[in-house]
Amino acid sequence: MNPLLNANNLHVKVKNGGEILRGLNLVLNPGEFHVIMGPNGSGKTTLGLTIMGHPNYEITEGKLLFEGEEINELPPDERARRGIFMAFQSPEEIEGVKILDYLRLLLEKVKGVDRLKSHDMVMEKAKEVWFTEKELARDINVGFSGGERKRFEILQALLLDPKLVILDEPDSGVDVDSLSLISLKLHEMQKEGKTILLITHYGRILQHVDPSRVQVHIIKEGKIVMHGREKLVKEIEEKGFKKVFEECGCNE
Amino acid sequence: MSDLTVQDAKSIIEEQIETLKKRNKEPEWVTELRYKGLKAFFEAPHNDPVIKDPLDYIAKAEEEMYPEVKSLDELPPEMLALLDRLGIAEVEKKYIAGLAVQSDTSIVLNDFLKEWRKKGLIMESMEDAVRNHPYMKDLFMRQFNPYESKMAAYHTAVWNGGVFLHVDPGLKVPMPLHLFFLIQNSAMAQAPHIIIDAREGSEVHLIEGCTSPVLVRHSLHLDMSEVYVGKNANVKLSVLQNWPEYVHTRPMTRAIIEENGEFINTTVGLGTGRSNIANPKYIVKEGGYVELNGIILGQKDYYVDLGGEMDLEGQGARGMNASKSVIMDKSTVITRGLIRAKAPKTKGHISCDALILNPEAKMETYPGLASEVDDAELSHEAAIGKIREEELFYLMAHGLKEEEATQLIVKGFVNPLLKDIPLEFVIEIRKIIEMAVSGGM
Ligand SMILES: Nc1ncnc2c1ncn2[C@@H]1O[C@H](COP(=O)(O)OP(=O)(O)OP(=O)(O)O)[C@@H](O)[C@H]1O
Ligand SMILES: [Mg+2]
Repeated sequence: MNPLLNANNLHVKVKNGGEILRGLNLVLNPGEFHVIMGPNGSGKTTLGLTIMGHPNYEITEGKLLFEGEEINELPPDERARRGIFMAFQSPEEIEGVKILDYLRLLLEKVKGVDRLKSHDMVMEKAKEVWFTEKELARDINVGFSGGERKRFEILQALLLDPKLVILDEPDSGVDVDSLSLISLKLHEMQKEGKTILLITHYGRILQHVDPSRVQVHIIKEGKIVMHGREKLVKEIEEKGFKKVFEECGCNE
Repeated sequence: MSDLTVQDAKSIIEEQIETLKKRNKEPEWVTELRYKGLKAFFEAPHNDPVIKDPLDYIAKAEEEMYPEVKSLDELPPEMLALLDRLGIAEVEKKYIAGLAVQSDTSIVLNDFLKEWRKKGLIMESMEDAVRNHPYMKDLFMRQFNPYESKMAAYHTAVWNGGVFLHVDPGLKVPMPLHLFFLIQNSAMAQAPHIIIDAREGSEVHLIEGCTSPVLVRHSLHLDMSEVYVGKNANVKLSVLQNWPEYVHTRPMTRAIIEENGEFINTTVGLGTGRSNIANPKYIVKEGGYVELNGIILGQKDYYVDLGGEMDLEGQGARGMNASKSVIMDKSTVITRGLIRAKAPKTKGHISCDALILNPEAKMETYPGLASEVDDAELSHEAAIGKIREEELFYLMAHGLKEEEATQLIVKGFVNPLLKDIPLEFVIEIRKIIEMAVSGGM
């Protein structure tokens, strides 16, 4: 069986900037739960955006395969339609576009849901992540608090029902209760068989996730330099990246 | 240059005036005004960047009026089919409101709940109004001077059709009233005259829909609106323009807003026509408020120039001029606004937002603020730019195609200014925007 996603010797250059990913390798099999950690600026968001097809990130070498097919040049909407989803670290504000209208449009255009059913579907999922009807009448991300933004990203994942869910720091800036909710949703997604690629700096987000299934990768200067299990998350939280890198001889 | 000589033009307009006079059995003062307009036409200044020679648009009046029709069903079948296509019958049913349709130079339909007339709401054709109400003399052509421009002069001479809307003191009309212009003949100037006379404490919302069923070559639409907003009255005038590409439109609007009155003037230029130039002027008395909301969809090589002058004459008067333009293809959109603070504690704001969807499209904005007092608050802001790449990526990353994402962003961009437009029209407007965006991509 093909891996769901296979990043093979990925080199990525950012528009008006230098090379950020420098020969990164990552294999995600269906149903697996992967955590990516790494210092600020090491290339985690870049990896996510490259998988999603952001036009500013150019793959200069290497291959990105999804379900065995190369997607290096595929536009973002087609990647989304194939089942790739990313919950963004800093989601965009879109003025004048009402959340409810937008989410219904997504269901209708992307998932082919009947117009008569889309409203109820949105309402049902919205409730699961604590959105009220009144909040759905607001504009996309406009004036949202940090926690609201993160929950809104999760809501879109619930509605689009993707195969691969990339989450870029879904735990930053959220309160204890929201953190627990998001962790629970991650657990549910995994139970449904979705493949998870979670970018984070902290282990708390894993509170509801089965630790035995978690695989951890550490990225440093655009390359994955360490692999481990859940223990590695704790080790980094205790010692910090500098020390861990020294001990593993990753600085060479 | 037109083929007509000045002498030719004079006799054509004279003939028109005589025809209109006879046809409408109009009072003498109206005909006198027409002749004043004719005289002014040859003396008034003309500066229009698109229409070089107004003589090209000199039109003949229709020989006969359509027979008076009392309901939608009595309309000629071709007209009915057209209204159906435009979804107007549908809208009318939903609102059970007043509907008037002006076709070329005649009012075709004037369908109203009789009770509202008894309550003090008058809506009738301008021809009827000038015959029926002696006080029209104090309202008609009181905010314009035919000598200010050739367009104003020509309108004064040959105006035909339009409506008079009167609302008695204290009367609040709960549903919007609709007026539709349909141009059917080609090479004609349509010059309807509209008067809104909203007395003290009244409330009314008039929606004008402009559209044209056939492609009429080089037609000129020269409408003039005079709005009187009484003390504490609340008037909304929403103009939806969806002209085909051969129509030039020169809407002329003036309003006087009395003490604590409120006037919300929204103009949605979806199909602006070949060119559309407007500079509405408003006078605001003590505590009054005026708002001009302009939505402009610049397409093809169309030329749109939307101004707006507000004189804040009374203490505490406020004015707001907001425009949102979506500029596509090779169109040119110019927005200007001018707010003059002439009394203490007045407030004015001009905001101009534009989304430019094509590098060949052009946008210019000239906000103007002038204060004659030292405690006025005047401000302006402008934001002109392209659709942000990050915004587009966000939507596409969730599966929307580039076209779908662009449509959504554009609809969202204009949305804040559609707050006073009934939902049925908003849905229609959104459809037109979607089509325009797809066409431009
Ligand atoms: N669009 C861009 N233009 C210029 N430089 C960029 C761009 N995107 C990323 N970079 C640079 O690439 C490097 C990696 O950035 P990236 O956002 O991937 O880091 P990260 O690992 O997600 O960091 P953090 O933990 O702070 O979120 C940084 O040095 C960043 O400044
Ligand atoms: Mg990041």
